Amino acid sequence: VDYRGYEVTVENFIRLLTGRVEAHTPRNKRLLSDDKSNIFIYMTGHGGEDFLKFQDSEEINSYDIADAMQQMWEKKRYREILFMIDTCQANTMFSKFYAPNVLSIGSSRKGENSYSHYHDRDIGASVIDRFTYYNLEFFESVDLSSKHTMADLISTYNTTLIGSHPGVRTDLFARKLEEVSGKEAVALLRSPSGRGTYLTDFFGAVQRVELTNEPFPIGRKRA
Amino acid sequence: MALGARLRALLARSSEPRTVISMHGERQVAVLSIALFLLIGLPLWWTTTRVYRAALPADAIHAFTPADPLRLPLVFHVDADAPLSAADALAVEQSAQILIETQRAPFADGEWRVRCEAAVRPGAAPDAPGHYTLRILTGAASSGVRVGADRSAAISVAQAASPRAVLAEAIAEIVAGEERRVRGQGALKYAPEYAVTLTLLNEDPVEGAVVDWDIEQALAAYMQPLVRAVQPLAKLALSSQVLYHGGPPPVTPLKADNLTYLTPDMLPHFVNSPSWNLASVDPISPMLNFVLFVPTLAAQPMRIMDEDQAARSGRKSAGSLPGSDAFLVSQWGGVAIANLPKGTRPGDRVVLSQDAMQRYMGLFITQLRQHLGVRSDIPLAPRRKSQAAKSAIDWVRVDLATDSGISGWEFDALLRQWLVRNRQTAITTLQSLMRLVDSLQNMVVMDEIKDQVDRSLRALHEIDDTLASRSAPRLGYLDAFTSAATALGLAEAAFFDPTMVSMLYFPDQHKFAIYMPFFLPVAVPLLAAIKKIFAERRRKPASSKKSD
Repeated sequence: VDYRGYEVTVENFIRLLTGRVEAHTPRNKRLLSDDKSNIFIYMTGHGGEDFLKFQDSEEINSYDIADAMQQMWEKKRYREILFMIDTCQANTMFSKFYAPNVLSIGSSRKGENSYSHYHDRDIGASVIDRFTYYNLEFFESVDLSSKHTMADLISTYNTTLIGSHPGVRTDLFARKLEEVSGKEAVALLRSPSGRGTYLTDFFGAVQRVELTNEPFPIGRKRA
Repeated sequence: MALGARLRALLARSSEPRTVISMHGERQVAVLSIALFLLIGLPLWWTTTRVYRAALPADAIHAFTPADPLRLPLVFHVDADAPLSAADALAVEQSAQILIETQRAPFADGEWRVRCEAAVRPGAAPDAPGHYTLRILTGAASSGVRVGADRSAAISVAQAASPRAVLAEAIAEIVAGEERRVRGQGALKYAPEYAVTLTLLNEDPVEGAVVDWDIEQALAAYMQPLVRAVQPLAKLALSSQVLYHGGPPPVTPLKADNLTYLTPDMLPHFVNSPSWNLASVDPISPMLNFVLFVPTLAAQPMRIMDEDQAARSGRKSAGSLPGSDAFLVSQWGGVAIANLPKGTRPGDRVVLSQDAMQRYMGLFITQLRQHLGVRSDIPLAPRRKSQAAKSAIDWVRVDLATDSGISGWEFDALLRQWLVRNRQTAITTLQSLMRLVDSLQNMVVMDEIKDQVDRSLRALHEIDDTLASRSAPRLGYLDAFTSAATALGLAEAAFFDPTMVSMLYFPDQHKFAIYMPFFLPVAVPLLAAIKKIFAERRRKPASSKKSD
């Protein structure tokens, strides 16, 4: 965990996203991303229309996050962002986004509450929210090599079990969420929106590798 | 009740006539003086609550457009037995330029234009980036180019061919290829310093051997020359460590007859273990990690191959196994697998000597070169059979720079790629900064930001000046590179300055909520009094405004 306790403030979050941290900030408190990085942002807590509560004393609103993402885009700090939010009226938080390549998923519509899943009687508080719980339940069934797409994840959302209507915003996202196949795939293959959006694009830290077959003949005298 | 009687008396009294004090002179002065203070205070409040914004040179920043081409000259010095005359040199230059124009792909909309240009001169080349020596050998069996590791090439011209044509074509192909590379996306992002960490990762020293390596000697012999060669462009800070008990990697290798193997699909998850401490203490420099992984003895020898190769590899000896033993991880670094000699028993101490390390250093250098964007077609791509019929050049051989790891041609290619990319990024950063400052009127712009922007602009203009001066005997590529790097550093420092966090969004309701408790209790009686003044003025003419 890089930011915890009193360090979790709206200002630190915006500074982290936009990269405007103080010069002495250590490496693990910086977002060292570039134009090839995919970023996953997950927010949860108490919230409402266009805001989310931080630390019982301040709020972050959707305009701030939208502006921060636009600045990240200008400075090429991301390739794609997956923004997931689980609060009351969560869908309003991403309604103000305007930066490209952002896929947003929220737990409830405007005017709806999000509910917690399990109330632990020993602690006396709820330990997880329903939307988050059903997301994690889906992830428990996949592993690192899976070819599941975001469309698969979204299709498992059950409004009755979750208790609210999850929303997805795809108009800013260039790629299709489901796997494309057949003729459509061949046609799209040359464009950036060619393939579907796999879960491993955002989860699981899967890297791109290339085999190195021959060592460079360093130090060998030329014949 | 007494209370009831008193209430009735109170209510009855409200209908009695009351004394009303008129808005006489002194009262009017009192009211209007409060209004006057408010009027004086308004501009004072406006100026004191305004944020400090230094004026940024918007025009100078927007004067850079993608359509203005950046011209990169490449000067070829021709060295032949019969010296080249100036007229011949000019003729070759012109025919090369025509060939380059035909090979140039059209510029996309909004693409930052770069034009590589060839110049041909007789005589010897100075030892500087951008100057290349071409030696012409006539009377050969076939025409071809042998590229040397320093900035030179030997062009063999067949008996039947014309030296000028072969020369022009060779030059055109080199320059056109360079332009294509510079317009593309090859190299790693520029940073003034890279933290290159080499790690010897021993999976299991208990069931395996205790491994150590002569890393300092190996680095001095094999890596330092590369670091020194790239020094003018970027600093590669080398550090090394040995990690014991690395633990098994997140992917378990598959077993074949007497080896274990990883398939290429398993590789993307290899570098994922939380117990491998590959952190860096430097907060800013980007990292490149090169890991030499020693598997536990039970899993050795380990290679990377696919299922068919594994099935066929049953009785082969360790040296001739198919597949490979290293892979590059994009944006992160690379991994090589070290298999210990066959007779090693658990608990043995094994030291990888400098000679044993030569192969692994070679693998790491290949991966490092790939990260730096050095590709196999610098400066000329090897001939394909389909091309041979159309071109005057039949064969191409490129000598690898085995002493330093990067040849003069490759160094120049890297320099030009980074120069162009840095200049572009500096300009777009400054333009984004202007857009940001304009769109957020509430944001403070300090003087030091303006200073950084001015210096960045000066450095950008210096690049153009340095590259444009043709009359100088040496091209100023290194100076231009330094200016571009400086411009980028300053532009990014200005953009990412911690004071540039915008004031948080204030909805109008918040602004009302802050100002109302101050002004409303004063404003309401004031406005009511002013209303009464005007009402009285309208009722009575001016003569009755006498104080009493």
